[in-house]
Amino acid sequence: MTLLKQSMAIQGIGCVGGFGSGNDQFVSALKAGHTSATTVELNHPAGQQTLPALLANTDRLTDFVSRRSLRRIDHFSRMALLGGYLAIEDAGLAVEDCGRIGIIVASGYGATNTTFNFLGSIIDDGDSCASPTSFSNSVHNVAAAYLSMQLQALGPNLTISQFDLSINAALHNAACWLAQRRVDTVLVGGVDEHSSLLNYCYQRYFANSDAVEQIDPFDFARQSAVVGEGAAFLVLSRHADKAKYGFIAGLDAGDFSQRSTVEDSDLLLIGADGHQTCGAMYEQLPTAQSLLNCTPCYGSLPVGQAFDLAAAGLMLREQSCYGVARQQPVGCSAQSSFDSIASLKCTANDQFSLIRLSRRGGDDA
Amino acid sequence: MANSVCVTGMGCLCAAGDTLDEAVTSMMAGERHAGDPSLFKSSQPQLFPVFAVRSLVPKAAEDVFLRTSQLALNAAKQAVEQSQWDLTELRKLKVGVCIGTTVGCTMDVESFYGDYRNGQDPEMLAIDCFVESNPATVISRHFGLNGPCQTIVNACSSGTDAIGMGAMWIENGLCDVVLAGGADELCRTTYNGFASLQINAAVLSRPFSADRCGLNLGEGAAVLILESETVRQQRQHVVAQGYVLGYGSGTDGWHLTAPHPEGRGLKQALQEALDRSGVEPDQLAFVNTHGTGTKDNDRVESLVLAELLPSTPFHSTKGYTGHALGAAGALEAAFCLAFLRQRQIPASAGFTGQDPEFSVTPVVENSAVVGDIALSESLAFGGNNAVLILARGEMA
Amino acid sequence: MTLKEQIKKILIEDLNLEDITAEEIADDEPLFGDGLGLDSLDAVELAVLVQKNFGVEIKDMEEGRPALQSVQALAQFIEDKQGK
Repeated sequence: MTLLKQSMAIQGIGCVGGFGSGNDQFVSALKAGHTSATTVELNHPAGQQTLPALLANTDRLTDFVSRRSLRRIDHFSRMALLGGYLAIEDAGLAVEDCGRIGIIVASGYGATNTTFNFLGSIIDDGDSCASPTSFSNSVHNVAAAYLSMQLQALGPNLTISQFDLSINAALHNAACWLAQRRVDTVLVGGVDEHSSLLNYCYQRYFANSDAVEQIDPFDFARQSAVVGEGAAFLVLSRHADKAKYGFIAGLDAGDFSQRSTVEDSDLLLIGADGHQTCGAMYEQLPTAQSLLNCTPCYGSLPVGQAFDLAAAGLMLREQSCYGVARQQPVGCSAQSSFDSIASLKCTANDQFSLIRLSRRGGDDA
Repeated sequence: MANSVCVTGMGCLCAAGDTLDEAVTSMMAGERHAGDPSLFKSSQPQLFPVFAVRSLVPKAAEDVFLRTSQLALNAAKQAVEQSQWDLTELRKLKVGVCIGTTVGCTMDVESFYGDYRNGQDPEMLAIDCFVESNPATVISRHFGLNGPCQTIVNACSSGTDAIGMGAMWIENGLCDVVLAGGADELCRTTYNGFASLQINAAVLSRPFSADRCGLNLGEGAAVLILESETVRQQRQHVVAQGYVLGYGSGTDGWHLTAPHPEGRGLKQALQEALDRSGVEPDQLAFVNTHGTGTKDNDRVESLVLAELLPSTPFHSTKGYTGHALGAAGALEAAFCLAFLRQRQIPASAGFTGQDPEFSVTPVVENSAVVGDIALSESLAFGGNNAVLILARGEMA
Repeated sequence: MTLKEQIKKILIEDLNLEDITAEEIADDEPLFGDGLGLDSLDAVELAVLVQKNFGVEIKDMEEGRPALQSVQALAQFIEDKQGK
């Protein structure tokens, strides 16, 4: 594990997804070990089908942003705004404190529904009637832009798209900003959304798999992915005394065959989200290794690791294991106290992302 | 102090040329290779000229990668060749890849989506291609690298941000070498999108002119081999093409498509880049502006230049390349280093006359420049602003 | 529905002005700035909506500015163009 020269204090956590919104609702789902999926109908002449999905509701966003300001903001950006605002609030920051914070948004697919709406406006009405509002809301950095506008966060602002490795990449950059003291605080998170086209892709790619209602995270050989959507954000600080949820102490990514050891953390939280192609790598982990998984609570999405980091931070603070454990049905009471959690995410093309959270920070992390 | 960041290789292709040398020669000759879009069909009542890469044929259905990634890979190969890295040696180091794009990460699958919506059962080729085409991954895998790899999608400042972040990875000791740059292809979606915003010009663009009326889209890619000076000094035979001295960024927090009227984020980005590099404004030989030729962009840049760098010569190269979106900042970083080497910058193409509202004027003919340091600006949708400060390398 | 009512309906539904009703928009109320509070992105969206709904083109914002002053001005502009 490559340890950061200076670990990043986790000052706040905010999330929204199929489980609801806010840390209390997330923890409830984590304790239950799953969230019940909604059934989405795929109306397509090729065959009507229903597929399960874990969808997010952002109604609560009006607590933070006026309806008028939301009028052009689509579901994708609303999820990011809600996750971001909840993290800022949880960090004890006022919007007035945000002027010099940095923002990094990670997204595997971007604002797909608005992208498709824009394409739809061209298909329906011709090239000259394309919607400029849809176009400008379909750019990948739209969520980061709305976050900066609403929070008046005028510091550095980045959007990263690296599919399942997007979160690792985002943290990498946050660490650089903090180390160079460009900013003292970074709001960093991930967002991805469900779309009917994504359901179609699932139907096509996984046509031969059995119907599922819930991710079966430790049956690595089985395709059991359930589409999820949502946003999960962390407020990271350069100052160790802000560490409400411990620290991000190490980051690694690369070829799984050349992975760093994962045994040096007390707990290993894996992002196995029911995709068979990634399961082969998780399968290679030592069978004796105790494993935790939270994906049945939020679903399968490229930025799922953001939710795992949120869960890991909450676990560290509460000193309780959440989610599903490979050894026990729910929870892992065996481990009475723990100082570190590693979050491991493997991708379909043999890459991994490993992120280590620790209760201890500063130079000794 | 942080490791200093050296550039040992540059690869580039755009409408002005298939290599950096070709592009610079063509710009110095004042050539503007624009034409009607040929890579896609359009039902717009009027055509908007575009700047296409002439050597790369349109993407075939069976191509594994998007055109954007093909462009990126082409530029990366040129850059690696110039840097004289032996791949076996290179792979022993921590080598990152950081690439900016817009189209390269968008599920921009118009015909697939159209078929799906019409109730057909489209084949998954378009989605497979999107999934396989992440530009940073394509480059990292091609060269067998195992360092940090990411694609930055900050709209039109992506290329500048990617080089800035790549440099930061080296400064912070996270990488020995980084392949950093940007890539974007001409496509129907951006073409129609800019037309819908009424900033796609029906004539060749006229950056900073009183009668400017919008931008022309372009395409291309540029990749720079960034390496820590420590690593570079172990390769005495390799010439430093230049240095990345500083990177700054600032966010407008103002509007999704319009820049802040006083250029708040751009000023912050400029100031941060100057502070980080310790460069004084009077050391700058010239500024390569974003200079797209839209009413708003050029007004804001003029205002900020008049305030912060009133006596520094500046130009826009968009008139030679079109606006290559996520590639623009990377192309222009490469141009800056080439111009510093020649100690000359080309005229700001398309300048037709002074806007009475502006108190600054771009260079109107090819001009000798004094000094070893240049500054390049990028502004983007979403209010992102990014600035690089680059220094001249050794004489080749 | 009169042309002005149609325009108001488009403003509310397609520019998502959920917080007001058609009756609350005065015919001569400025659409931009202190009036309805629309901005430059709404202006180009409105140009597309006018073309889509009334077949009238607003080619650029120089030409469009007077037409987009108010519901009254826009209705007049559309009628003039359609009349030709």
